[in-house]
This record gives sequence, C-alpha cells and structure tokens, in this order.
Amino acid sequence: MSRSDRMKKIRNFSIIAHIDHGKSTLADRILESTQAVSKREMEEQVLDNMELEKERGITIKARAVKLDYTAPDGEKYVFNLIDTPGHVDFNYEVSRSLNACDGALLVVDATQGIEAQTLANAYLAVDANLEIIPVINKIDLPSADIERARSEVEDQIGIPAEGCPAVSAKTGLNIEQVLEAVVRDIPAPTGDEDAPLKALIFDSYYDSYLGVVVNVRLIDGKICAGDKIRLMSTGREFEVVEVGTMEAFGLCKCDCLQAGEVGYITASIKSVGDTRVGDTVTLADNPASEALPGFKAVQPMVFAGIYPADGARYGDLRDALEKLRLNDAALTFEPETSIALGFGFRCGFLGLLHMEIIEERLEREFNLDLITTAPGVIYEVKTRGGETVMIDNPSNFPTADVIEVAKEPLVKASIITPTEYVGGLMDLCQDRRGVFHDMKYLDSTRVELHYDLPLNEIIYDFFDALKSRSRGYASLDYELKGYEPSKLVKLDFLLNGEQVDALSFIVHEEKAYGRARRIAEKLKDNIPRQLFEVPIQAAIGSKVIARETVKAMRKDVLAKCYGGDITRKKKLLEKQKEGKKKMRQLGSVQVSPEAFMAVLKLGDDD
Amino acid sequence: MMTDKVGTVIEKVKNVTDKVGIYIHVPFCRSKCYYCDFCSECGTNKDTVDAYVDAACREIDAVAASVRETRGGARLPVADTVYFGGGTPTLLDPEQFERLILAVRRNFGVAEGAEITAEANPKTADREKLAAMRRAGINRLSIGMQSTHDGELRALGRIHNFADFERIFADAREVGFDNISADLMYGIPEQTEESFCESVRRLAAMDPEHISSYCLTVEEGTNFYRRRDSLNLPDEDEVASMYRKMSNILSENGYNKYEISNFAKVGRASRHNLKYWEYDDYIGIGVAAHSFFGGVRSSHSRDIEGYIRGENIIDDTQKIEGDEAVSEYVMLAMRLSRGVDIAKFKANFGLDFYEKFGGKIAKFSPEFIEKNEKNCRFTSEGMFVSNYILSEMLEF
Repeated sequence: MSRSDRMKKIRNFSIIAHIDHGKSTLADRILESTQAVSKREMEEQVLDNMELEKERGITIKARAVKLDYTAPDGEKYVFNLIDTPGHVDFNYEVSRSLNACDGALLVVDATQGIEAQTLANAYLAVDANLEIIPVINKIDLPSADIERARSEVEDQIGIPAEGCPAVSAKTGLNIEQVLEAVVRDIPAPTGDEDAPLKALIFDSYYDSYLGVVVNVRLIDGKICAGDKIRLMSTGREFEVVEVGTMEAFGLCKCDCLQAGEVGYITASIKSVGDTRVGDTVTLADNPASEALPGFKAVQPMVFAGIYPADGARYGDLRDALEKLRLNDAALTFEPETSIALGFGFRCGFLGLLHMEIIEERLEREFNLDLITTAPGVIYEVKTRGGETVMIDNPSNFPTADVIEVAKEPLVKASIITPTEYVGGLMDLCQDRRGVFHDMKYLDSTRVELHYDLPLNEIIYDFFDALKSRSRGYASLDYELKGYEPSKLVKLDFLLNGEQVDALSFIVHEEKAYGRARRIAEKLKDNIPRQLFEVPIQAAIGSKVIARETVKAMRKDVLAKCYGGDITRKKKLLEKQKEGKKKMRQLGSVQVSPEAFMAVLKLGDDD
Repeated sequence: MMTDKVGTVIEKVKNVTDKVGIYIHVPFCRSKCYYCDFCSECGTNKDTVDAYVDAACREIDAVAASVRETRGGARLPVADTVYFGGGTPTLLDPEQFERLILAVRRNFGVAEGAEITAEANPKTADREKLAAMRRAGINRLSIGMQSTHDGELRALGRIHNFADFERIFADAREVGFDNISADLMYGIPEQTEESFCESVRRLAAMDPEHISSYCLTVEEGTNFYRRRDSLNLPDEDEVASMYRKMSNILSENGYNKYEISNFAKVGRASRHNLKYWEYDDYIGIGVAAHSFFGGVRSSHSRDIEGYIRGENIIDDTQKIEGDEAVSEYVMLAMRLSRGVDIAKFKANFGLDFYEKFGGKIAKFSPEFIEKNEKNCRFTSEGMFVSNYILSEMLEF
C-alpha cells in the first residue's frame, strides 16, 4: 500500500455534544458496529471508564480508540475516535482533542435542539477547521423533532444539515448512516511522513507500570520505539520505550506511528506535568522548526483550601493529592496552614466541577474526610507601593489602606434558555453583578443571553441557581475574558471575638452585607451550643457588619443511672467524647466540620 | 446450684466488704409505658412469675455460695439495702416478696435498720397488699407517679391516673410506710412549664420523704422512639427552665437536691441508690440486673426464659481498674451534690484529684464547677450540663 493509500483510509474524528445529548451512547454504538466490541461486552460505556464519569454521565478526560471499519463496498478503513471532555471547565482540553481530528460528529438531541455547549463545541470544531457532520439523536423519543433540530443546526451554526444522519444511539437505529458519513465526509489526514516529527499531545495519563502514557496525533513524520523525543514547550527529552495504538480493550504495541495516525507513546516519563496537553512532540535529533499552534499551559482558575477533617491525616492527604496529580496536570496544590483548620493545602482547579471531582476522589478513593474552604479565584491587587500581586488566598489579601486598585477576573458567559425563563435568569445575572451584552432569539422559543460575569460570582452556586430557575433547561458556557477593577473587600468572621481565618473570603463590597448576614445565620444554626454564649460577627476590617449569637447550652445531662447500669452512661460519655474529637477548637469555641461545610454551601434561596 | 457463668463472675471478687446492696429486678408489667426501654414483659402468667421468683432465689443462693468460696468460707457481707426494681415489682404477691427477702436473709443476712425498697405502680397495689408487703419487711416505697395531670399520664402510656396515686399514697401511709419516694417526669409530650410546676407543687404538698425527677430521654426501641418526629416535646431551653424551677420549688419545700435527679428530706436520701454513686458494692439479681462487686461489673442477660432454666444468666463481665476506675468514680461522684470527696478519692486511688483533673477543670468557669480542699462538685448550673463537662474531663 502506498503512503497516500494508507492515509486515505484513515478517519480521525471526535464526537461533540451538549451534556446528555447522547455522545457516549453514540460512541458505544460506533464501537459495536465496527465490531471492536461485542454487544455483550457493551454493557458499560467503554470510553467513559472512570467511576465518577459513569455516575455523572459525563466524560472527564479524553480517551481515544482505534476501530477497523469495513465499508459496504468492502473497503477497509481505520477510524480513530477521540472522545472529548464535556464541561466548560475542560474547554482547553476539548480544543486540543479537536485539533487532533479532521472531522467531528456534532450530536444534537432531537427533543432539545441546540444548547449552549452544542454551540460552544461547534465553534471549537470550526476553529479547529474540522469538517462537521451533524447527527440528530434520540429520534426514538415521542417528542423528537428532527426537522426542527436540522433547521437549528443550519440557522445557528451555519452548516448544512439536509440529509444528515438522524439516529437513535440508544436503539442503534440508522447508525450505519453515521459510519458512511464518516467515510464520505470526513477528510483523510494530510501530512508528510518524511517531514520532521510533529505529534500533538491530546491526552496523557499515568500508569503505574508504563509511566506516563501519552496520547498523540501525528501530524507529520514518524516515531518509533527507541527514538529520542523532545517536548517542545519544555525542551525536555525522553527515549521512547514503546509506541502503539489504543484498541477498544487496551494498548496494542507496534513498531512505528506515522503521519495521520493516532496512538500512544511511553518513554519512562514520571509525571503528566511533563506531557502537557497541546504540546508538540518532535524528535531530538531532527526537530521540527516550530511547534503546533495553540499550546497553553493550563492555569487553575478556582482555588480553595483543603484540610483533613482529622488533622492526623495530613500526610495521607498529601500522598493522595500527589497521586491525583500524576494524572492531572491541571491540579495544583501547595501546603498552607490555617489557625482554625491546621495543616492543609491550597489547591487550584480548572473550575468548580474539577474541584468537586477532586474532592470526591479524595474522599472515595483515599477514604479521607475533608474540610474545604470557600472556593475563590485569583485576584490582582496593585498596592500603593506600585507592586502588583496575584492573590489566591484570602489570608494574603492586603488591607484596604494598602490597595491602590484591586481587579477580579471576568468571564464571557453565554446562556441558552427557553424564553419563559429569560426574566428569572436575567435577574440572576443582574444579582451576580453581570453586565448584559445582548440577547439573541435562536427561534421563537429559545434565547441566547450574553453577559460578562465576575468569575467569583459563578464559582459558588451559579450553575445550580441557573438550573433551578430554568427547571433544568438553561445551559451555560463561559470563557475567561480578563481582569477588571472591582471594589473588593475581605470579609472576616469572628467567633467569640476571635477571627476564624478559614472562613474569610473576598467579595464585592455590594455583596458583602447580604453574604455576611446569611453566613452568620448559617453559623448560628450549625455551631453546637457551648457552655457560654458565642457571639458571631462578620467584619470588614474592624467594621462589624453582621452579628448573631449562639445561645449557651442549657441541658446536657443523663437523667438516670438505672439499677446501677453504669456502662450505659459510660458509653454515652465515650460517644460524646468521640464527637468532640472531630470538633475544631477555634479559640474557646468548638466547631464541627459540618459547620464549615454548611457555610460553604449557601443555596440560591439562602 | 451455681452456674458456671455466675462462678466466673464471683471468682474475680477479691475485695472484702462488710456491706452490700442487693438489687432484684422484677421484669413484669401490666403494659409497657411508651418511653420505657427497661427489661419487662407484659401479660406473663402467674406460674412463670413464680418460676422466676424461684430462679431469683436460686441465684441469690448461688451468688452467696460463690462469694463464700472466693473468700475461703469467710463471712459474707451483710445486705444493708435491698431494692426491688422493675418492671413492676408490685405485680409480685406478698408471699413472693417474702421468699426473696428470705433468700437474702439466709445467705447474706439483712442488717438492722436496712433500707428495703420496692417500686410500686399506683394501679397494682391495694391497701391489703401494701400492708402485707410491709409485714414482709419492705420499709420504703418508690411510687411511679410521673405527673399529677391525667392527660400527661395518658400521653406517657401510664395505666394509672392521679387519683390512683393519691389513693396508694394514702393507703401506704395508713399501713405504716413512713419512707415514701415518688417519681416525676419532665420534658414529656404536651407538658408545659406551668403544668410541670403544678405537678411538683402538688406532690411536695403531699409531703413524701423523697422525690426523684427524671427528664425524658427518648430511647431506641420504645414506642416514643417510633413516633419521635411527631412527639410534641418541650425544647432544651424549656426543659432547662423546668429543672431550675423544680429545684427551687423543692428546695422551698424542704427537699435537698443530693443528686442530679434526686431530692430528699433530711436523712431520707436513698441509701441503695447512693451505693451506685458512691462506688460501693451492689449485687444485682434477676434479668437485666447489674452488679458491681469487688471492682468487677457484670450485667445479666435479658432472657427471662433462659434465666428461669438457669442458663444464659450473665452476658458481660468486666474488671474495672486503672484510669477507667478513676473515670467511673468521678463520673458517678459528680452526680452528687457533694461531688468528689478529695480525701476519699486519695484513699481509694492514691492520687491527688486536682493533680489529675485540675488542668481540665480550670477550663470551666466556677459558674459550673466548684472546688475547694474538701470537695469538687458541680454547681446547680453545672449539673445540668454535666455530660458536656465530664466528656471533656474523663478518659475511658
């Protein structure tokens, strides 16, 4: 087979969709139809193989799989299906995965039509110069409206959808149309296998036997076991141990990978921090003159303190975070201490979902009980001394007299919603200090809203509020816009006159009063009664802006030692003692870990 | 005959004491009160009750034999208190009381002036029975009154009303009981501070020698527990206020609070119950009974049929020593108004009380805990939050 014939038979593509529009189910059907996986083995979605992903029905990390497809005319093709993460926190990773492809299947739910992430992902695919094939899904549902979905694709994304596949990924109906469209419409890769190696990293993960397994798409050149490679963003070099392809049920070693192909490389790399998504792999002794465009070192946007509920497990928490970081270059952490919570870590995340995933994995996989402080963003403060500092921890926020100007990150948010919820959502954005840009009617029933919103307003509970105000119909997408000056203050909480550092956070002046009052109330409800009255105060600097009181305990006594049964009373005291061990001593006040959590989880209605 | 189980308990008995309290559990009731999780059975036939009494007599014999053996045939401690608890002891016939007291008498002996108490339910003893109980040697009654309000009594699932209490009280006085205790409950469904204070006043006006007043705790496995979410219970502040008002009313009426929940006229504190709090020896007889003898705690199983057959009697035995003994001692002594006697503590454990606990006590305001060279004790305020403080002070 000539070189060009080899490349002509390759199709590299992704599936993109809004959450729940059936991306993973379609991937399953494609795997099944190409006989990479039998129906019996298909009980679980193969591409989403993390436990959390299954539970949340979303894909967290990209995965790729190589499939052999025999077209009805007998021609054999190689499909490389590259899965993409499906949440705004992972936008950059999505864009890199798409850059590894030549085309994309855009799945649209025939009952829902286009949603915010359908658009956002479609734009990413357009930016990556991909051939987009719309696939209308869920046509088995009674409320499916195929024609509406098609016209939305044509009107809103501007790509033809006439005659595009309309399928039910669930039942398998019309899946062959999708496979034929892949062969017919997605271009075969181009590239020069004699040119210096350029391979795009679109994913990497740590394996305890192989070290880091790097998933790449070869744009130009060729890579073989034993080659010396260089990672172009860092200049670090490694010797390739193994190359191969990702088959449905595992890695399959081969001699070389060539331009146009998708596969993996192992090179005794110890940390995924060395193999950043979007970076270019080249050969050390015949390097490409320039890297592939679009590389960005991912930056965490959301920060929170994570502490073990039991201070003695600090070491375990550190080990657990280190293990997670092996596989997650976007997670950052550094030790910090809190007077209230003891030793812990300031952790950086891509977004709130990423943070929740890390928390859940720490709790589930490492069996840790955690106390997490309120998530915050990075603020930029210019001091009167002319110095500019980036603040990711409220404790480091300078006092008002030192601040020349404080800036906070803003995002460009796009919200798509049925028209009846527009009012409520505009109120929500208004309440979260949003600046309205425009409103576009997508059709007679749906609207797209554009707002600039401060990132710190959407990292708390914005997504939940959005869902509750739209009965789950509104969808959100956002990207970082930049820093803007803002009237920021640090809100502190005092228990019995002593400041609790772990409860401090940075907030816009206008929001400070409301938040202070609500948190003070929550604290009152969640701090157990002590032997004395505990005043709760919320303060900006020395100015108290809200106060509450936890009344003194009145009764904590066992009435009766019946018939000389001492053991029972002893057990009761023991249990009480156990409970107290979990308490945090904040000055003279004992506070349960639950109190911290309650304060952090202020609902929309609080 | 002595069972192996009892044998193992008693073999561990090392200390020799002169006096001992005997607790006899009577696990029968006419019906179960809604809050009760004590061991009792309803609707038991007469033969079973009688068989149970026989089994209890046999256990008294066996325990005595075993203690005697451990002591190498030396004298047994003499019983200076006997306490019939339940359940409803007044479901026993006077003759059955007699047999049990006789069993104690022939094994341990009953000291002169011993306090022999029976708990009584107002509905289950008439004047004739009371008189017979008196003749059998019982000289103290502890009557479960709980409330003077019939509505509250019904809400508790009690089988009697206030009039029943008035009658049994009068009958008891008539037949010669000059040492009567009555129980009160607070923090119960539908109760208000006013209604409780009225109960306290009316009871005090009847002038019993002793009053026990317990706050309701909703225990697992009770009728109340099943209905716990719909019980209309007074809240913590109301209950605390009830306790304070009660303490004041009783004090005005000449009752001393000598323990968190117990009030007595001068010289009328319950000598049997004091043994629990003063770390003295007591031997429990019957199902679900607890013993503390020679530094060993043991508890009986709750299996009535097994008990009658002489099987499965003891279900747990534990030697209490070291820090645990110290903690128990303090936990119990601190229930008493006079608190820990510093000299006695030193004599018992060879430790200086303040050296051991001074640091922890210092964390608490004198508003809650008082200390001087002779005693360390809770104030009235401190008593009501004593669990909180004890759980910080003690190690188990």
